[in-house]
Amino acid sequence: MPETFEPYIVGFLCNWCGYAGADLAGTSRIQYPPNVRAIRLMCSGRVDPTFILTALKRGADGVLVVGCHPGDCHYISGNLRTERRVALLKRMLSDLGLDDRRVRLEWISASEGERFAAVVKEFVEEVRALGPNPIEGNTNET
Amino acid sequence: MKLRIAVEGLGACAGCEIAILDLHEEIVSLLQDLEVDYAPILMDKKSLNENVDVLLLSGSVRNKHDTEEAVRLSEKAKTTIAFGSCASFGGIPGLANLYATRELLERVYLTTESTDNKQGILPSEEVPPLEQTIKPLKEWIKINYNIPGCPPQPKLIKEMFQMLLSGKPVTLSKKTLCDECDLKREEKKITRILRWGEGEPDSSRCLLEQGYFCAGPATRAGCEAKCPAALTPCRGCMGPPENVTDQGAKMVSAIASVAAIDEKNRVDPEQLATMIKDVVGSFYRFTLPSSIIPRKVSEGKSK
Repeated sequence: MPETFEPYIVGFLCNWCGYAGADLAGTSRIQYPPNVRAIRLMCSGRVDPTFILTALKRGADGVLVVGCHPGDCHYISGNLRTERRVALLKRMLSDLGLDDRRVRLEWISASEGERFAAVVKEFVEEVRALGPNPIEGNTNET
Repeated sequence: MKLRIAVEGLGACAGCEIAILDLHEEIVSLLQDLEVDYAPILMDKKSLNENVDVLLLSGSVRNKHDTEEAVRLSEKAKTTIAFGSCASFGGIPGLANLYATRELLERVYLTTESTDNKQGILPSEEVPPLEQTIKPLKEWIKINYNIPGCPPQPKLIKEMFQMLLSGKPVTLSKKTLCDECDLKREEKKITRILRWGEGEPDSSRCLLEQGYFCAGPATRAGCEAKCPAALTPCRGCMGPPENVTDQGAKMVSAIASVAAIDEKNRVDPEQLATMIKDVVGSFYRFTLPSSIIPRKVSEGKSK
């Protein structure tokens, strides 16, 4: 019997909404799977597509990007840029043979701790169903 | 003592060698200090047996013969230069990484519309087998410098020879193509991406801001932006600029940055992603084998 597959997910969370939302989930003691390794950035607009590709190359089974709801971005439009970037990147990834559901962009505000937990729960299950990262020679630094 | 040069093309089109000839009269003065020992595409000499100072290797490593030649020749040279985009990054042949070797052979020898091969014979005798994937030359042999370009521009080739002759390291521009481009940028945002040939471009304005897919922001300078000067969008043959690892990822950012996001003409992200017909082929036209995900992967294999 193979070991059960635990997805390794890298989360890029913006300082103002996503990370604060994750914090709220924590301080509210909401239970959710521990598979997401959170990386705090000042804005989801800082998420260079290279970060996502590198995470996948190094063995992440999924990448979660969380920003503020449109209109709420602390830097006005960083999240809208990322929205377009992620859409293009997902298209590119599926042309490269990856399932584009491995990359997920979500808007979660600082008051949505419950939503953060629900999104993580759902995403972990989705990636679990997709199986391990199929990139050959991924360094699997998990 | 003249600097002794050898030039060889692997899986290539000979365009890089012809680019050397594009130096025209200047080659005469360069030849006072250079001695070309071996350049089968340009000169009638069948093999290189002596050692040389500099080896210019162009083309991609497509089959086992290329691999062996690359190793054998580079052992004879003090300095090896990956000459042209194929050698530097994998180049156009690198897009074959989107298919399995079997798929490539079947397409070329069996299913192309004009093929008449009823017995279904695939070449196997007396031809070197293909390498499974295209990789940049530096993953096969030790490379001292990359000289990108499809083909490298004569000005760049001249500078390369001058740097080699003076004993200095060969360096490339650290800027992006946009820094060299004379077309005017106005911070205009686009609502759709045009294919080359759609509409007529304004001859003074940035092509990307007019909606044409121009790879300038994700491409190294050094070609004097000749394509945009002729109103042809940059295809990215100079490869990614300094400190950028992945040209396609940079291009994703560039397109996202020019897409309109104001209330009135906001571009739908999903729509934006469908506006480019061939995303990988456009974003990684010359650099797929040296990108972060250098070949097609298949989901579900390791389940």
